[in-house]
Order: sequence, then C-alpha cells, then structure tokens
Amino acid sequence: MVQVIDGARWQGGGAAIAWGGDAPDLFVTSAHVVTRKRVTVITPDGRMLAGDVVRRDSERDLAVVHAPGAGVPAVATGDPYALRPGSLVFAVGHPFGITHAVSVGVFQAVGALPAGFGLNGQGSRPWVQADVRLAPGNSGGPLADAEGRVIGVAAMIVSGVALAVPASDVASILSGVA
Amino acid sequence: MADKRSSLAILSDQLADAVATAGAAVVAVHARPRLPSTGVHWRDGLVVTTEGTVRRDDDIGVTLPHGERIPATLAGRDRGTDLAVLKIPPGSLPTAPLGDPATLRPGNLVLALARLDAGGPRAAFGAVSAIGGKWRSWKGGEIDQWLQSDLSIYPGFGGGPLVDAAGLVHGVNSGGLSRPLATTIPVATVNRVLGQLLERGYVARGWIGAAMQPVQFDAATRKSVNRETGLLLLSIEPDAPAARAGLLIGDVIVAIDGRALDGFDQLLDLLGGDVVGKTLRLDVVRGGRQQSVDVVIGERPRARR
Repeated sequence: MVQVIDGARWQGGGAAIAWGGDAPDLFVTSAHVVTRKRVTVITPDGRMLAGDVVRRDSERDLAVVHAPGAGVPAVATGDPYALRPGSLVFAVGHPFGITHAVSVGVFQAVGALPAGFGLNGQGSRPWVQADVRLAPGNSGGPLADAEGRVIGVAAMIVSGVALAVPASDVASILSGVA
Repeated sequence: MADKRSSLAILSDQLADAVATAGAAVVAVHARPRLPSTGVHWRDGLVVTTEGTVRRDDDIGVTLPHGERIPATLAGRDRGTDLAVLKIPPGSLPTAPLGDPATLRPGNLVLALARLDAGGPRAAFGAVSAIGGKWRSWKGGEIDQWLQSDLSIYPGFGGGPLVDAAGLVHGVNSGGLSRPLATTIPVATVNRVLGQLLERGYVARGWIGAAMQPVQFDAATRKSVNRETGLLLLSIEPDAPAARAGLLIGDVIVAIDGRALDGFDQLLDLLGGDVVGKTLRLDVVRGGRQQSVDVVIGERPRARR
C-alpha cells in the first residue's frame, strides 16, 4: 500500500493498493483521490515516485495508477460476499495525513444500501458496509478482513457507515491494463 | 487439535457467531417514514423497540430474519424509558437469549445489532464504557442501571439489542435517551416496563397534582420544626390528589411516610414506583407548625406522561 498525492496538492491525498496481477507497480485507488493525470506516489519506505493515472471510473469511484519502480508487494484479496456480519475488519490509510494508520471495526453487509440511506442514486450499487472509522486520507486504501485479505477499497462515509467498493468490482477496471 | 488460525481470525468468527445467535431474534420495525428501526423478539409474540422510533400507532410492520414482512400491533409505549412493545403472531422467530447486565464490566467487548431490510443483521462493535446505578432519563423514566458503551448507534440501530461476545442480549440500545452517548436500557427495565405495558398499555406514574419549589426555612421555623428545607406548594390543581387531601398553597412538605424530604428527586422516585392508589403520609409545615396530611396518590394524566 502507498500514499498518493494528487498533482500539486501538497496536503491530504489518499491511499492506493498494490493489487498485483500481471503488471507490477499498478495501484488501485479511488477516482476522487486522483483528479489529475499525474500524481505523486510515496512508498512505505519513503521514496517519492511519479505516477500516471492509467484508468479511471468515476461512476464506480475507482482509478488505477502506474508508478514504475515502486516495487511494493501486492496484497492478498478476499471475497466480501463470504464475510458474516460482525466479522472484524481493518482499514489502513492516511487519515488527516497520519500515514499508515489502522482503524478496526466490524463488517455489516455487502450490497445495496438500505432504503433511507441517501447517496444520490449510488445507493443501489453494491457497497461493502462496515462499522469502522474512516477519515479523509483513508480513501483508496484497503478494507481488510481478520486474515489481512483486502475485501474492499475504502470510498466514503454515509450516515456514519463506512463504504468500500467490493474487491470483486476491482477486476474489471484492471483488466487489460499492463 | 489446536485451531491453526490466528487468534484474530478466531475472535472475528466468535463475533460473527454472536451476531448470528442474537440476530435470529432481531427484526426490522417499520413504524416511521423512510428508514426502519430495529426490534428485539423479547418474549414469544412480543417485540421490544424504542418508543422514539414508533412514529405511528397503526399500520406497523416487522421484517423477520428470513425476509418476510408481517403486520404488528402496538401493545403500548412509554416515553419515559423510551420503550415500546409490539405484538406479532407467536412462533414467528426465536426469542432473544437474555443475559444479565450485572455481569458486564467496562472493557467487555459488545456489539449493537440492527436489521434494516430483508438482508442479514447488521452489527457495530465496541466496548462497555461505564456501568452505574439507577438513573432517571430526561423524559422522566426510571432506568435500573446506567449501561454505556462506545458503540456507534447508526441510523436504524435504535431499538436493537446490546449483545455480548457470547451472543447474549443485555438490553435495548437507545440513541435518544442520552445523546450522543450510546445508552442501553437494561434487561430489568425492559422486563418491568414490558409487564406494565401488557397490563394496561402504558406505565402508570404517581401524581399528586401540585407544583412545588424547594425552600429553606427561616431561623425561627427551623428551630420550631427541626428541619432545614422542604418543598413549598406553589399551586394545586382542582380535584387533584393534593387538593382532595386538603393540602394548601403555602404548605411546605418536609417528610413523606416519616422520611425527611431533601429534594425533588426523592419525591419523583417515590411517585415513579408502584404507588398509584396507595396512601402516603406527608408531613407539612403550615403557619409555622408541623402537621400530617394523608394523600391518596393518583395517576399522572395521560397527556403528561
């Protein structure tokens, strides 16, 4: 996992996940974290690299960043649809600029939001819904299960509930990127 | 054989087991616009939820764990303790496995459960923050135990159970009793209020029909009646118990049933109990002299409950 800083913005930013697959140095993040074409990626060992946004899906709030030479190990992924309510989940990100901060909570559900949770029509998409604290800077970072498998990409908070894009939705944006 | 998984994975599984166990007795309650609230199948055919989330008296429904939505009828509600009871057909789902909140200690891991739709139960996770004695809600209801946790009571979680790591239910979570804290109405209070709601549809509270203010006596009166303070009667409603007993404006109540009175709370505690219809002996100071007046405690009129 790395930190992503969007172009000239010197503060804030978000997280991105080394997803692995065929191409190394590809990172999955939230589309709202990378609003420009060129971004800065900061690796866990503190190196700053230039990255390019090579895919973007604003509807699903996902993007793919290519940062050659990052050499960050890829995560293991898990299936949120296999989790039971009450299972532990962890979020890792850079809330308010505190890098690689962990918050813990439990999985609530995966699927459309309950009726009554307004999300500008986006509520009917599948979301991983969890009772875990997210803050600005967590966006694009992993939501992982108790075994450390990434089950979602942290996206936002709605009515206090943490929402993440299910890991199973990531495959489509990565397909063909190499 | 030893479990080879990490202790974290085992804990995660145990929490999910606790949610599944208690969640089998948790329903969604449809009694307000938009977002449903949560209810606990407390006894067979009886669902407990928070009073504040039951916005209508008719056309109430509940969604069962397997997703079926059935009609429910309101058996009664009590604003003071923020509890309401709904009736559903017996045998609709398992009843909640009840725990004893007295066994909980600060730091114990707990879950808040909810059901918002035909999907599975939802959970929030945290720890017991504080345990304390009896308290009175700002709505005037007596709660047998202060039970506070650091759980997030999300929209729709009101009326849901507080569940321990073994899946036992220790009470009903209320988002409205002491916002922003997550407060749980403990098992004992739910059982007590449930009994009264089934009996008469509301919780009867004692009433004497007088407005009072605490006062300090002047030196001379203090000496003659051997009391420092009392409750001065400011107004008395016509035909109310106080009026019928012959109490007068200006009387100062100094003791009830022989016990010295030191403030409102003591009086409210006495009237909050099972006293309707009983006779209490009030010691009052009238014209500088102490005398006794017997008052038959009435029931607080419905509009004021």
